[in-house]
Amino acid sequence: MSVAREQVECLHHSLIILLCLAARGYAFRDDARNGRFRALIFTHPMTLRMSYERRFRVPFRFLLLVTLAACTREDVASRAREPAAPALPASGTPRATVTLDAEDGQWTRAAKSLSGIRYSQLAQITADNVRNLRPVWTFSTSVLRGHEEAPLVVNNTMYILTPYPNLLYALDLTKGDSAPTKWMYNPKPQSEAQGVACCDVVNRGPVFANGSIIFNTLDNHVIAVDAATGAEKWNTKVGEINNGETMTMSPLVVKNMVLVGNSGGEMGVRGWLKALDLGSGSVRWTAYSTGPDSEVLIGARFKPHYPKDRGKDLGVSTWTGAQWKIGGGTVWGWISYDPTLNLVYYGTANPGPWNPDQRPGDNKWTSSIFARDPDTGEAVWAYQMSPHDLHDYDGVNENLLIDVPWKGQTRHVLIHPDRNGYVYMMDRATGEVLSAEPFVHITTTHGVDLANGMLRYEPSKHGRVGEVVRDICPASPGGKDWQPSSFSPRTGLVYLPHQNLCQDSEGLEANYIAGTPYVGMNVVMTAGPGGNRGELTAWDPAAGRAAWKLTEDLPVWSGTLATAGDVVFYGTMDGWFKAVDARTGAKLWQYKTGSGIIGQPMTYRGPDGKQYVAIMSGVGGWAGAIVAGNLDPRDSTAALGMVAAMKDLPSKTTKGGTLYVFALP
Amino acid sequence: MMLRPLACRARTPLLLVGAALAVVGCRREERRFRESPPATTPSAVRVSALQPGTMADTSHMPNPYESSAYAQSEGQRLFGWYNCAGCHANGGGGMGPPLMDDEWIYGSSPENIYNTIIQGRPNGMPSFAGKIPSPQIWQLVTYVRSLSGLTPMSGRSARTEHMNFYQGAQSMQGAQTPKNSFRPPASEFP
Amino acid sequence: MLLQAVHTQSSLDPVGPLAANTARLWWFALAVATVVYLLVIATACWALARARRRERRGELLDPGGEGRMTTGVTWSIAATVVILLVFLGYDLSVGRTLSPIPKAHPLTIEVTGHQWWWEVQYADSAVHDRFTTANEIHVPVGQPVLFLLTAADVIHSMWVPNLAGKKDLVPGYTQSFWFKADTAGTYRGQCAEFCGHQHAKMAMFIIAEPLQQYQTWVAGQRDTASTPTDSVAARGHTVFMTGTCAMCHNIEGTTAGSHAGPDLTHLASRRTIAAGTLPNTRGNLAGWIVDPQRIKPGAKMPPNQLRPSDLDALLTYLQSLK
Repeated sequence: MSVAREQVECLHHSLIILLCLAARGYAFRDDARNGRFRALIFTHPMTLRMSYERRFRVPFRFLLLVTLAACTREDVASRAREPAAPALPASGTPRATVTLDAEDGQWTRAAKSLSGIRYSQLAQITADNVRNLRPVWTFSTSVLRGHEEAPLVVNNTMYILTPYPNLLYALDLTKGDSAPTKWMYNPKPQSEAQGVACCDVVNRGPVFANGSIIFNTLDNHVIAVDAATGAEKWNTKVGEINNGETMTMSPLVVKNMVLVGNSGGEMGVRGWLKALDLGSGSVRWTAYSTGPDSEVLIGARFKPHYPKDRGKDLGVSTWTGAQWKIGGGTVWGWISYDPTLNLVYYGTANPGPWNPDQRPGDNKWTSSIFARDPDTGEAVWAYQMSPHDLHDYDGVNENLLIDVPWKGQTRHVLIHPDRNGYVYMMDRATGEVLSAEPFVHITTTHGVDLANGMLRYEPSKHGRVGEVVRDICPASPGGKDWQPSSFSPRTGLVYLPHQNLCQDSEGLEANYIAGTPYVGMNVVMTAGPGGNRGELTAWDPAAGRAAWKLTEDLPVWSGTLATAGDVVFYGTMDGWFKAVDARTGAKLWQYKTGSGIIGQPMTYRGPDGKQYVAIMSGVGGWAGAIVAGNLDPRDSTAALGMVAAMKDLPSKTTKGGTLYVFALP
Repeated sequence: MMLRPLACRARTPLLLVGAALAVVGCRREERRFRESPPATTPSAVRVSALQPGTMADTSHMPNPYESSAYAQSEGQRLFGWYNCAGCHANGGGGMGPPLMDDEWIYGSSPENIYNTIIQGRPNGMPSFAGKIPSPQIWQLVTYVRSLSGLTPMSGRSARTEHMNFYQGAQSMQGAQTPKNSFRPPASEFP
Repeated sequence: MLLQAVHTQSSLDPVGPLAANTARLWWFALAVATVVYLLVIATACWALARARRRERRGELLDPGGEGRMTTGVTWSIAATVVILLVFLGYDLSVGRTLSPIPKAHPLTIEVTGHQWWWEVQYADSAVHDRFTTANEIHVPVGQPVLFLLTAADVIHSMWVPNLAGKKDLVPGYTQSFWFKADTAGTYRGQCAEFCGHQHAKMAMFIIAEPLQQYQTWVAGQRDTASTPTDSVAARGHTVFMTGTCAMCHNIEGTTAGSHAGPDLTHLASRRTIAAGTLPNTRGNLAGWIVDPQRIKPGAKMPPNQLRPSDLDALLTYLQSLK
């Protein structure tokens, strides 16, 4: 919303207040719960009730003056939380960088590197020749649901893991473009697991380590399969679908341990991260996201940077009663690892239920980032991005571990583009927030106070049960959902694929019944300002602003890939696979695949020495649920409100999973 | 003089129409708190319409609450209470399939829906046997069927009291025309 | 037995400053109305007597009648205006004493009206110390208590006449009011806005008790339900968790976490069941579980068919929830 429009709206509201007061007396009421002053206005055409802040708590005769002043203030505030206008980094200024491992032409984990940056040093495909890119072979997965996974390439074999039923294919790359199937492993997950998977039955990919392909199944099994033969090495069940738990995340292997987390923040699940022994699959440690310090693995080494995150048993005391046992904070996103500090970083998901009235308190440690020692699981620091989250702003998004010039020195940071709409840049040793700048339009908060780490909430966006709150931006999938971003040390830019959605919501009383949804919210989403539902933002972490932005009609629900050829790849939900110039964002090439793309692009060096780029096509996920699940667009609250924003998707794409591999001629 | 006999003659049908309306109206609003509807459905509820050989019985078991507005509104309340809405939203679906369209994976008859709730279905529908008493399941059946316009109009509630989520449907919950273009069959869908 | 100690539910038996003000206004109105009534009757009698006298004297015309009529009407109007103004002034002054919320209120209680029971949440500033109960509100004597009111379905109204006036509970909207109980005791309250079938059986009890007693009660309510130790109660626990009960009720510390019906974490510590409908005895509880529709037709709780042994175990478990 533009500043001018907000000002006009504010004046409009003020005028209506004055008219109402003059015409029919006033019914002011002291809202003792949060010290706000409310005006009841029954004649307003848009809304039955509006909440205004304390600034109206003045005698009637000063009201006009004060409202006008308030409009000016609103105006300043709105400017503050609007993302800054894009600007290319000036040449010559220091830019963000990263220390890279030697390029082996393989892709052994979803994010390629432990630092989670999805950058390949392969440079055959460049900004100059990418326009010649053409598909060389394809592979149908036989699954019709959303394909969010990244293919892996190890030892000239490509491994593809499908969404439920989690079929694992090994394709032989040495046989040229025919790429025959070496073996297929079917874990036969329980079909009932589909009923507790909140947002499509996706999987975000396997990981390769120690000669095994390790992956999670929807029904909570972690399975290691021999990469050469497809024989099962071990199979550990770590969760229970009857409690609403599922697993969709891509594991990370660190120091002979497989790190996995659960999904189910919409089902009253208690979140955890588990470390499994790489050799045997036995659980070494479990770190819960809520509960007493002994179960969150908070001990003597725990030193959060901000006082708000310090204290004993905060995972219990910031909840009412025993609600922490069903409070969410699942770990379904990305894990990164810094070998120098020996710390893993990951985010925890939203608190449950969505309806915030039912869970008073900060609800720690949901919507937070943890830094843990992988050897023991012990937490070293934690930071809660969204205390007492109001709008399902999970904190599970990726953490990119890079080095950024900051105020004259190089800082080892993690870049975390959060669902609440801010790109957090944090010192990854201490958890200090160096900057938190908006990358989308935000109405729910007014920025992050860097002095105490607090997120400044907008009180009028805090809906109560039975109350409809309008214009919540970003919407529940956040400024950016799970779709992972990439970083190129050559440009110093982070490429954020994200959406531009706002929503109206109405709180409802949620009943916890184990194994059923625990949400308590009617949500209706719409496109954000500008009307486009997606964006690709090139973020300059050193400047804390966007270098350039590309708008997309549909949410950009795929990951991005940056290469040394200065090309950035991503896909759109109507099926276009696109390459843009990493420096300028200029569109270089695109190819229409069979279904909408929500997967993670990757690149590898084939046995023939050529560089290939691969992407899964197959629409679904939360944003594509309307197609993957045949949902009915007449109900705007379908798929937790996502359907309202995606009504036209069925006319733009159909379902079906296919792998596409591209190369230069 | 001509008017009187005419009015007299018209009175009887008018009365009959009025009485009929009153009876229908009463049925619509009838609240049977202590009545026990059939606890279980007949033993052979068919989910498939395909019967080898000669078609046997194709009759359906009537839902005792089919035209009761009260049962329908109670069903709507329970649809929220028991978290049906968590998966099926307000009929449009989400984790579970939509209920307001004209596709019924496991059948649209009252006893089919009853059995789907009681037995659960292998692709994700939980089994609520022993969790929800039988009369309440029949109320849920009534509401679920009303979403796609399968229950009589007279039994439907006027509007919901929540955020308006059916576009252009200010006054009538559920759908009148359960037809939807652009939607491929959902054969593999739970 | 405890119910016998309940005060008469009456505005004229005030035990708090707000109710006392209201009661004074009521007595004042009664006094004024009585005086006016007597005056009107007396005047009417006087007029009748005068007319009778004149008739006896055979006078057909009353020469000064028209003048007296004007005077009479003028005086009546003036008196009415004065009395109404006095009422208005007094009413406003009473209203003023009722409306401001005391700044120091150590206790905030959130009440949500449901068809047909009251959900009560003690909103402690330390969130972990919050707890939920139903239909019975314990308050410390001599301390102002702030109530935040809302409703889950339709409009209800909270009215405990011995303590304060009515306040409506409106869905999607939070109202506040407060009262202070000066005398320890149990005071009955009632929904005062017609809210459906069982509006009449939507009662609540305010239990005003000395601070120490109150604090003991609070400490007990904050506890989660203990796991049953004896085998019968343990079986009852299983019946509760696996059957219909857990679909609607919450017992803190167990897997039952639904809020459709009243919180049962400390059910056995309550005096009544079904919102003040029945004393909380084993027999009443059994009758209520098996067929609530006989006791409270239309109540949202369905009849439950349980095997006798299961019912017995369930009752033992519920009675262990002290």
